[in-house]
Amino acid sequence: MVVCLFMKLELKKISKFFPGIKALQSVDFSLKQNSIHALLGENGAGKSTLVKILCGVYQPDEGSIHLDGQKEVIQDPTASLNLGISAIHQESVMFDELSVMENIFIGNHITKSNRLVDWTSMEKKTIELLGNLEADIKPEEKIKDLSIAQRHIVQISRSLVHDADIVIMDEPTASLSQKEIDELYVIIRNLKKQNKSIIFISHKLDEVLEICDEFTVLRDGELIKTDLISNTNKDQLVTYMAGREISQIFPKKHVKIEDEIFSVKNLYKKTQFKNINFNLRKKEILGFYGLVGSGRTEVMKTIFGINKFDEGEVNFKNKNLNITKPKDAIKNGIVYLSEERQNLGMTGLMSVKDNINMAIMDKNSQYLILDKLKDLQNASELQEKLNIKVSYWSQLAQSLSGGNQQKTVIAKWLSTKPEVLILDEPTKGIDVRSKSAVHEFMGELVDSGMSIIMISSELPEILGMCDRVVVMYKGLIKNILEVSNTSSEEIVKLASGE
Amino acid sequence: MMNLIKNRDFILFSIIIFGVILVGIANPYFVKPSSLSDVLTDTSILIILALSQMIVILIRAIDLSVASNLALSGMLISLLSTVYPELPVVFFIILSCLIGTFLGVLNGVSIAILKVPFIVTTLGTLSIYRGLIYFVSDGKQVYSHEFSESFLALIHYKFLSLSFLFWVAVFVFVVMYILLNHTRFGRNLYSLGGNPDAAKYIGINENKYVILAYSISGFFAGLCGYLWVARYSVASTQIAIGFELTVISACVVGGISVMGGVGTVVGCTLGALLIGLIRNALPAVDISQFWQLAISGAIILIAIIINTKTEQRKDKTIMVE
Ligand SMILES: Nc1ncnc2c1ncn2[C@@H]1O[C@H](COP(=O)(O)OP(=O)(O)OP(=O)(O)O)[C@@H](O)[C@H]1O
Ligand SMILES: [Mg+2]
Repeated sequence: MVVCLFMKLELKKISKFFPGIKALQSVDFSLKQNSIHALLGENGAGKSTLVKILCGVYQPDEGSIHLDGQKEVIQDPTASLNLGISAIHQESVMFDELSVMENIFIGNHITKSNRLVDWTSMEKKTIELLGNLEADIKPEEKIKDLSIAQRHIVQISRSLVHDADIVIMDEPTASLSQKEIDELYVIIRNLKKQNKSIIFISHKLDEVLEICDEFTVLRDGELIKTDLISNTNKDQLVTYMAGREISQIFPKKHVKIEDEIFSVKNLYKKTQFKNINFNLRKKEILGFYGLVGSGRTEVMKTIFGINKFDEGEVNFKNKNLNITKPKDAIKNGIVYLSEERQNLGMTGLMSVKDNINMAIMDKNSQYLILDKLKDLQNASELQEKLNIKVSYWSQLAQSLSGGNQQKTVIAKWLSTKPEVLILDEPTKGIDVRSKSAVHEFMGELVDSGMSIIMISSELPEILGMCDRVVVMYKGLIKNILEVSNTSSEEIVKLASGE
Repeated sequence: MMNLIKNRDFILFSIIIFGVILVGIANPYFVKPSSLSDVLTDTSILIILALSQMIVILIRAIDLSVASNLALSGMLISLLSTVYPELPVVFFIILSCLIGTFLGVLNGVSIAILKVPFIVTTLGTLSIYRGLIYFVSDGKQVYSHEFSESFLALIHYKFLSLSFLFWVAVFVFVVMYILLNHTRFGRNLYSLGGNPDAAKYIGINENKYVILAYSISGFFAGLCGYLWVARYSVASTQIAIGFELTVISACVVGGISVMGGVGTVVGCTLGALLIGLIRNALPAVDISQFWQLAISGAIILIAIIINTKTEQRKDKTIMVE
């Protein structure tokens, strides 16, 4: 019997500083072979920074890295791959103009004996990998033609192709729906069976408890706790992360739903969706559930005027709306928060404050002069409410952690106070505490007279927040259910076309 | 069929054929095999330079110094050949390529290591290399009778009644095709140009690729230095002046996106062919100098519009009707 004397991976006293920010302070971390290790912490705790150090994207300012007992310096991403470490990063590191197959193999193309790229083998391997994930994606498709979730699946395949000993997954399940998540679990468990070590980052604590063996919690760049999963529970994890006990679930505020305010009739777009009929009542939260690629986002994008529809009508306050571009929708008080937040929602080189206030500049100015005080008030109010971790007000949005970027964009659209708010995966990638803050905020908004449509792939969120849920499957509405009168089983069944 | 029409290479190809037919109607002499083969010969250097420029454009840069590089390499070997006429022509060709590569490496190092923006660097070397020609030649020309016979003979060699120049272009086309489609180096160029941030994550060393891309561009500028002086049997301070703009328009017409990461070897070659055709055909149908400029400008604009139209994102089928 081989006894493993060393940890697979050991980080000793790792620190990483950015100007004015201590992202990691003297963190110890050890990873066993044959183990799924959860790396937990609130947005901005330092998880992704740790991952980037392991991948050679950042160099630690202090501390050392040991692999199988041997000290290593990971000077660049190639070195990291050669040491058997591969990662799915939180931000998309994809090449839009290249094919799916090439994105999977990029930097690591299979070559023939004559050193030319072996396209046939790569295609075969791609089909196999995507098949394992039961993804309906063709190897030759360009990334720019894929949805967010499909891109995510390609990223997952990329990390699997290297056959690395250590696989790091930074929020792999954000933006996937239950079916794809289940398939991912099968793959992760298989990896473990093959004696690999997995670092798993997620804000969904239920899944962490389900598939992980160990956990490490970081808070403000410091190590708080590391232990076996079997020794803990959800509440305790939340307490470790937040640093104090918090009640996680804000029960949804009860509001009295009023009359219909918005409706969509027989919306049809070639190859995308058809017979889309639903209405939204004042002060209602209407959920949209479905598998990845079921057409939910496409419907919302056409309603908002980003894409055009072929037939059908959109009515708002008993008036037929003719929306041809997003500006028309915004003018009418309809706002859509896209799921592609980093690309469409944020200006990375602007400060957090300016990002939050971008959409309401007009409202905050008098005689064209910006009211700085009002600006700051609005920003700090939302920053506090959503718990956006900024180190200083002028911090550029691009240097925020992934979750905090999301929250910044949410704050930006919430400041516009529209009448109909369409949210696409609003809590994707944000920590437990902020998630309940967003939920609480949504409750307040409907109470104040707003109506909300929320696309979400998370069933608990749909069941907890919505009054009714529209279930979509392959571009069609399967059914519209009263949430109080349905079960998660029924919704999942409808969503998978049964 | 829809795919075929959407394929921009196919559109470009059709435009070229259509153009040849149109000019042929106006001037039947133009479509005789011998004059068509002259057009090809005339376009060969453009094809070679467009393909090497493409490598630089793929990584979101531009090499404005190619024409000056070509002229300087060409002048240096011409001067040398007047002093050592007995040396074999192969020696001069290799030397020209080496000089070109060296000048290309200088560009690359300035951009990658010294971090001087590529526009500034290559705009600078455009003048510096051109200036050096005056310096080395004292502003004089090398005339055809001063070249050795072997120096000029190679260029007149024909195979299957097509010129040596044309076959060099074919060879470069094949090499570039393999390089960009079937080697890791080539594919990494696409990824670096497509998303430089993401390329870092997969371990692509940007500096190395920048230097290599400019070296390749320089190498082919050097090669064309020999081809140019041999073809026109003259080396002067003025050769190929402004040719870099023709090269870049060939790339743009050929669908090489200046935003980086997009473009094919076939497209680029077709772009060069179209530009070459225009340059040869317009004089053949007696169009005034002014109109020639306007028409080439219009064609370039149309090509760019076609580019943006064919590059639009297509919707993925969700619902099967
Ligand atoms: N390039 C950078 N420049 C400056 N600060 C940075 C940079 N990258 C990260 N930070 C800061 O370091 C801290 C840790 O960020 P990190 O991305 O590691 O958080 P995280 O735990 O991954 O959070 P999330 O759950 O939101 O993804 C944050 O305060 C962030 O603003
Ligand atoms: Mg992160």
